[in-house]
Amino acid sequence: MGKEDRNIMHNPYLPYPVRISDLRIETEDKNLRTFKFEFLNPGDEEKFAYLPGQFAELSVPGQGEIPIGIASSPTEKGYVMFTVNRVGQVSSYMHNMKVGDVMGIRGPLGHPYPLEKLEGKNILIIAGGFAVTTLRSTIVWMLQPENRSKYGNIDFVYGARMPGLLCFKDDWTEWQKRSDINVHVTIDREAPGWTGKVGFVPTVTKEVCPPPANTAAIICGPPVMIKFTQPVLEEAGYSHDDIIMSLENRMKCGLGICGRCNVGPEYVCKDGPVFTLTQLNQLPKEY
Amino acid sequence: MSLPEINTKIQETAKRLLKEGKAEVVIGYRQGTAPMTVAPHFARTEDDCNQLVWSNFAKINLATYLPKFPGKVALIAKGCDARSAVGQVVESQIARENLYIVGVACNGMVDVELIQAKEPRPVFTAEEDMATIKLSGEGWSTSLTKDDVLRRACKTCVCRTPKDIADELIGAETPALSPDDYADLKALAAKSPEEKMAYFKGLVKDCLRCYACRNACPLCYCPVCFVDETRPQWLGKSQDEMDTFTFHILRAFHCSGRCTSCGSCEAVCPMDIKLREFNRILEEEVQRDWQYVPGLNWEQKPPLTTYRPDDEAEFIK
Amino acid sequence: MAEYIVKENALRNFFQALTEGGQRTLLAPAKVGDKLQMVECEADKITLDFANTHQSPKSAFFPQTQKLMAFHKDTSKSDPFVYKPLGLDNMKPTVLFGIRPCDAKGLVVADKVFQNNRFTDPYWKTAYESSIKIGLACTAPGPNCFCTGVGGSPFSETGLDALAYVKDGGLAIKAITADAEEFLKGLSGVEAAEVAGEMAELKKAVEAKMPGPIDMAKVASGEILDIFNQPHWKDTADRCLNCGTCTFVCPTCHCFDIQDEQNEKGGVRMRNWDTCMSWIYTVHGTGHNPRPTKTERMRQRFMHKLKYIPMKQDGDCGCIGCGRCVTLCPVNIDIREVAKQMNG
Repeated sequence: MGKEDRNIMHNPYLPYPVRISDLRIETEDKNLRTFKFEFLNPGDEEKFAYLPGQFAELSVPGQGEIPIGIASSPTEKGYVMFTVNRVGQVSSYMHNMKVGDVMGIRGPLGHPYPLEKLEGKNILIIAGGFAVTTLRSTIVWMLQPENRSKYGNIDFVYGARMPGLLCFKDDWTEWQKRSDINVHVTIDREAPGWTGKVGFVPTVTKEVCPPPANTAAIICGPPVMIKFTQPVLEEAGYSHDDIIMSLENRMKCGLGICGRCNVGPEYVCKDGPVFTLTQLNQLPKEY
Repeated sequence: MSLPEINTKIQETAKRLLKEGKAEVVIGYRQGTAPMTVAPHFARTEDDCNQLVWSNFAKINLATYLPKFPGKVALIAKGCDARSAVGQVVESQIARENLYIVGVACNGMVDVELIQAKEPRPVFTAEEDMATIKLSGEGWSTSLTKDDVLRRACKTCVCRTPKDIADELIGAETPALSPDDYADLKALAAKSPEEKMAYFKGLVKDCLRCYACRNACPLCYCPVCFVDETRPQWLGKSQDEMDTFTFHILRAFHCSGRCTSCGSCEAVCPMDIKLREFNRILEEEVQRDWQYVPGLNWEQKPPLTTYRPDDEAEFIK
Repeated sequence: MAEYIVKENALRNFFQALTEGGQRTLLAPAKVGDKLQMVECEADKITLDFANTHQSPKSAFFPQTQKLMAFHKDTSKSDPFVYKPLGLDNMKPTVLFGIRPCDAKGLVVADKVFQNNRFTDPYWKTAYESSIKIGLACTAPGPNCFCTGVGGSPFSETGLDALAYVKDGGLAIKAITADAEEFLKGLSGVEAAEVAGEMAELKKAVEAKMPGPIDMAKVASGEILDIFNQPHWKDTADRCLNCGTCTFVCPTCHCFDIQDEQNEKGGVRMRNWDTCMSWIYTVHGTGHNPRPTKTERMRQRFMHKLKYIPMKQDGDCGCIGCGRCVTLCPVNIDIREVAKQMNG
């Protein structure tokens, strides 16, 4: 018993209304589209205060919701950005939406990468294909002048099957020109016109990975990439506390209530999606 | 045969089949952990076999476990279980050579809901033989005649003794019953469409959409049930009356001419919905139009899964 | 706290008074068809003689289908395609009479999920916290009851505002919260009395008839993966139908699916009870399923109840011993047996 003022209670199921302010086709197979959203109501952008590694539920009225990692960095003001892969009902519907259409976003959800804990360390960021989104957010955030000095060397390994499937080309070509980040972009096999690295992500990681002392790795990618990259890092001597991963599972509420995304006692949505390998080693592999 | 005699026979048979390599597992029942329950039992060793029992409280049709079951399996089968297994062979869900049917002459299973309607006091122990159910609770005990609390489906069973389809039979032949005359359906058919609709909606009004009926059904082996399809999503997932109704109607149509009237769906339904009403209507039509009773022979395909270019029926053209 | 009695001939007035002149919806055990359920009902339909309701009372606060928000598509009006919440401003508070102590404890388990360390579910919170829960202690527990096996009691006060038991055809009631004392003392038919002593003795006597504690010490101290990888799961799953009956009747099962439905004018977003027994519950958009077979799905339910929830809720078991799943499981998968197997 006990009566609350019900009107002032925050409703975490209710999306912030947003308008699609920009969208672009991200990859040449046209399966990925990147959306920028601006908030319809003043003040909502501030309420949606997030950090790299968090995600949101993209909410299309009448269609449903999908959990997607936030690709923009909180340092990029005036919009939030998401890259959406066409897989199910909601994402397919979104691929037919236009600039100006109204939908919703709900979040931020989950925990960010442990940015404070990582201060003072060298950072190795490893991404495969479409899973680069929250790592783009992380890099943009870390490269900000007010943040860059908190970290040592930053290495970025990024791979895709072919050049046309690499996301955020403008960003990483820009980063390649900088001296404060080492960018190692690779594709699986030779392709016409490609002058960069060729080889799978685990192989490139083995070549370029910095010594494990005082270095942490953040990995995001398809299961097969993770499966073969993890041993590379272990062999290189990275401790399990310093291997950080972001999990995906089917989700609905994003609040640790609806149940389906649990991995052992942890909900990927509420307690993750970011976990260290030490944590994951104690949990069932139900993801 | 008495219940203990049947049990001994089942256990001996199971051990022999495992030993002879006719089966790697024998699926039957074992005693349940709560009053008026039995558990489906997968016997793989001699010790396992010693737990096999026959019981009046069997709820589900054991053939449900057969589709895609790996290896050789023997089924301790009631008539309806055996018929369903035959149906699954006909529908290519299990290979005939991997299936060994141990038929048991059955005189019906009891309906726990009916028992509780007759005896609402909490039952702490239930004892049984082939003709009576003895119940007791705190400071009371009573005895019910099994025939008075029989499952509805069992009262019109056409295959109490699966002698023609079993590979071997346990027990003496049970006297046959007169089959369902569907008399009540004639009365229903005479009603107006509105009245019929109200009747059917009333039947399923308590449905939780838990799909226990589907999961317990030996016919429901589809890898993806239409209610679970998401692209496109055929059916809403709420308790919307039409969505619930559509589920039951479509499932019934999907089972028409295949249902062996085992009553498993009704027995497992946590809300005790009379699910077989849907099936009976279609069962009657299939019998009338095609003189077909499913699960009684190894060759004949269900009429609604059969296509013939020279089919006489108008609707096919 | 104050203690009261309501005499048999005053029961009807008492039940009517519980609605506070219609300001509250009264939910109480009454027959719906041939099932006893916790439902909105008239005072004279309430029964005091029962083991437990067929379904758990969770739907009072977490209906099987609940509309969360709605939107419209009329571009001539303000806010087209913007979801607005439903049902929060005008939710009528309830009074639950006759909830069993096990179920009240189950609702506390669910409450800790709906109001977890990071988020508050406003739909649950509004309904749950505005309700008054008057429990009815069990003097004749059912055959499959085992609250005492999992840290409960037929006279448990957890999650209740007041606890009653049947006395001489009427009720003896003990207020547990100050709010309940305030609520009860002015109600029609309620007389001050001393009942705590008798209640304590009854509690002892009923508990003595019930099962002892299920030993789950090793489940509590064991590593997740050790229990997860035990060999018994496959054997039990052999007979599991993945039907979900257990999850639908369980008072602590809280999982749901969120679905949108729309027509040409607008649409709603709703939640519906869901079940971890279903393969689609966890399947990814890519088709990958982290729990691909019934073994993983069945294991999840027991790991959740008996290992994960205790880890997250200070050791409190996620099963409260109501016995509904034991009674209704079509293939007799008995959580008491599974708990024993998990404990080695």
